[in-house]
Amino acid sequence: MDVTVNRVLDAKGLACPMPIVKTKKEMTNLDPGKVMEIQATDKGSTADIKAWADSTGNQYLGTVEDGDTLKHYLRKATAEEEKPEKSHPHVVNLEDLQKEIEGNEKITILDVREPAEYAFGHIPGAVNIPLGELEKRFEELNKDDHLHIICRTGSRSDLAAQNLTEKGFQNIKNVVPGMKEWTGSVDKSH
Amino acid sequence: MSKKVAIIASNGGLFDAYKVFNIATAAAATDQEVAIFFTFEGLNLIHKEANKQLPMPEGKEHFAEGFAKANVPAIPEMVAMAGELGVKMIGCQMTMDVMGLEKEVFVDGIEVGGAVTFLEFANDADVTLTF
Repeated sequence: MDVTVNRVLDAKGLACPMPIVKTKKEMTNLDPGKVMEIQATDKGSTADIKAWADSTGNQYLGTVEDGDTLKHYLRKATAEEEKPEKSHPHVVNLEDLQKEIEGNEKITILDVREPAEYAFGHIPGAVNIPLGELEKRFEELNKDDHLHIICRTGSRSDLAAQNLTEKGFQNIKNVVPGMKEWTGSVDKSH
Repeated sequence: MSKKVAIIASNGGLFDAYKVFNIATAAAATDQEVAIFFTFEGLNLIHKEANKQLPMPEGKEHFAEGFAKANVPAIPEMVAMAGELGVKMIGCQMTMDVMGLEKEVFVDGIEVGGAVTFLEFANDADVTLTF
């Protein structure tokens, strides 16, 4: 799997707790919203990185095994997204989204998370345009489509929904809360 | 409010040192506030000379190879790392008096205090460990 990252940390050959200590240091220098790849050979690091992310409020995306190397992917969370303040008036919950996917009417799902988040699991058929690229790529979307926008918690997708409404899109719904709670089918290829 | 971890280090072997500093650095790197109180033989862990050659438990000397193979940092490096991560290290005044040791023989950045200094920190700690 090919994952776009903003920073790579080499922690290969290091024993516990060094991968965590190094991760902490590197994460401090990473901008919120960016993704880091941590390469480690310590087998305990998968559980440790996961627990570390939970305790520090950062987002653990997943781990890929590459021979003896474990590649862990973390995304630095931003303070705002943990407490979403939604304001796009039209929302749809995950249950109703599932029904619409199964229904007859054609809908388009726009996933505005980072490519690395998308790669580790998205709703089959969802289109990926990260929120940061929406401004220059919104023309790839069709204004007449029935657009459902999703992210992890409903916060970035809300911003995207407001942004596209300003650009004249009429038929937009923000999916809440988002992939964090999604239990439907997931596609891990891209 | 971040979580607080209070550790008492009262033994002076190499294994004891790793137990103390692994937990301390891992907790500090996970944004937890950490204080270690070094008392009795635990003071060896922050003694500038002694902590370079802490003894293995008797009969366990063969583990030295394993430590080297696992690329485990030496104890003085672990101490420096703990300091960088903001771990508060308190040397026990009473033990230092008994052993006739001055603050200068210990690594830089430590505080010296009595039991109450530690207790004040440990009072509202979320985790308390003794090694």
